[in-house]
Amino acid sequence: MTPELRRSFAGIDGWVGAILLIAVLLLAVLGPQLWALDPIKGVLTATFKPPGTIVSGQWHPLGTDQLGRDLLVRIMAGTQLSLGIVVIAGLISALIGTGLGLLAGYAGGWTDIVIMRLVDIQLSIPFILLVLLVIAVLGPSIANVVIVLGVTGWAIFARVARARTLEVRELDYVEAARALGASRLRIVLRYILPNIITPQIVLLTLDLPRLIVLEASIGFLGLGVQPPVPTLGNLIGEGRSYLLVADWLVIYPGLVIAALVIGFNFLGDGLIRLTQVRVD
Amino acid sequence: MLRFLGNRLLQSAVVLLGVSAIVFFCLFLAGDPAALMMSPDASRAEIDAFRKAMGFDDPVLIQYLRYLGKALTGDFGLSLRFQRPVLELVLERLPATALLAVAALAWSTTLGFVFGVLAAIKPGGLVDFMVRTVALAGQAVPVFWLGLVLILFFAMKWRLLPTGGYGEARHLILPALTLGAYYTSAVTRLVRASLIDVMGEDYIRTARAKGLSPGRVIIGHALRNALIPVLTVQAMYFAALLGGALVTEIIFAWPGIGRLAVQAIQNRDFPLVQAVVLLASTVFVLANLMVDIAYVLLNPRIRL
Repeated sequence: MTPELRRSFAGIDGWVGAILLIAVLLLAVLGPQLWALDPIKGVLTATFKPPGTIVSGQWHPLGTDQLGRDLLVRIMAGTQLSLGIVVIAGLISALIGTGLGLLAGYAGGWTDIVIMRLVDIQLSIPFILLVLLVIAVLGPSIANVVIVLGVTGWAIFARVARARTLEVRELDYVEAARALGASRLRIVLRYILPNIITPQIVLLTLDLPRLIVLEASIGFLGLGVQPPVPTLGNLIGEGRSYLLVADWLVIYPGLVIAALVIGFNFLGDGLIRLTQVRVD
Repeated sequence: MLRFLGNRLLQSAVVLLGVSAIVFFCLFLAGDPAALMMSPDASRAEIDAFRKAMGFDDPVLIQYLRYLGKALTGDFGLSLRFQRPVLELVLERLPATALLAVAALAWSTTLGFVFGVLAAIKPGGLVDFMVRTVALAGQAVPVFWLGLVLILFFAMKWRLLPTGGYGEARHLILPALTLGAYYTSAVTRLVRASLIDVMGEDYIRTARAKGLSPGRVIIGHALRNALIPVLTVQAMYFAALLGGALVTEIIFAWPGIGRLAVQAIQNRDFPLVQAVVLLASTVFVLANLMVDIAYVLLNPRIRL
């Protein structure tokens, strides 16, 4: 890393992104340990308390909801679950997409044509409708949400992986490996994959915001992970009914989503400058 | 040009065929589509009768071909809940969604261009910084959250506009603002980026050297060439627009296709859901096709 590149990563947005992400990650990972209230069971004498209220010795910095549950701990638990869902789903997408992209780029011919048509098909279906349809068929469990988000998001990874594979496969050292009699599988895994992995990681960082908003939208519509288990989306969906009496139930979870989206976008932009990869 | 057109049309047809297969076979993911579509307390005999009536006993491939054949003639089956042809229901709701989408696109494209141009006049300046901050916020907040916050302030606290409904101009304002916000940011960023790109070209330096004002240079020379990348990426945002319309319509009780789709999913009205997904994809594919053609027409450097 040259000093110049390091400076450009650590530009103002790089720092803002990193700080936002670290703050939200701490909130999600360490939060529930330090702020050990029950996110599911409430105190019925403490419903709809505005942020900053103290009820029988318990401080509620972000207020409480319709069942007297502490909003801060619900946001912490919700962030943890939502973030877990989208990261695993993103990894599944990246894995499927990279695999298919490598295959299309290296094998060429009909394999390539079929895979690229599948990419077009995948990209032509409005994601959210397809996701909702499949979840409606399979039922709204956490595992189903992860699988559906993971399986429907692979197309862009395949497109970028294929483009890079086409470039890399023509390089001299790949030619040399082929001349030495390396098997196709070995060439792909040992010589091509390491050279396309960086753009894929950057792409994953830039794809996470999309997944975060998608997961939140599904939760908001009441079709994702079901209450009382909190996610960032279903918190807002539940809070919507009490907008006039308790607007904090909607406002704070939304701010966390915005922080995550900005954080990952900035991190992705920083990574692009740092690694100088092209992700189109 | 004709060959290009033929190829692109064929490609679009293949894509739509694939979409129809996915939409059709989704129902078989959970095993028995008849049990899926009936209410959970339906008896065994009722489910069997329904399965027979729907033709679910036939080989799956036959069923798919039958579905495809009917869909091509505009017959997407009956809605399980409304007991009416699905296409009729969708067409009824189409004008509301179209109105919302056009309103959102119109204000957001206009504002996006103005913001983008203002920011590109002096990259790194104060205006640029402010525009970029606003654009960033617009892309970061989820559509449904923005909608709720707008309702909270404009409808509930200040009582300036209705919380929802349909029919008058004042009903359109908040939903269109909500749906267009993300898009405004996207257009702003694109126009800014592609203008800054174009501003480095030789002919811009020539125009400047002639002594033209920065405004004249941007509007008369740069903007035209900055349009092309903006146009291509716009088609991609169309999908985001559809997703946004879904939640926007729910929040504002807007009687469009998005709300119809979500209600259909909640009612387990699968023929209706299938039709909406298929039609939305068709619109998306056609929009892409038109953008590709416009791209070729706009850019004389692409010779076919």
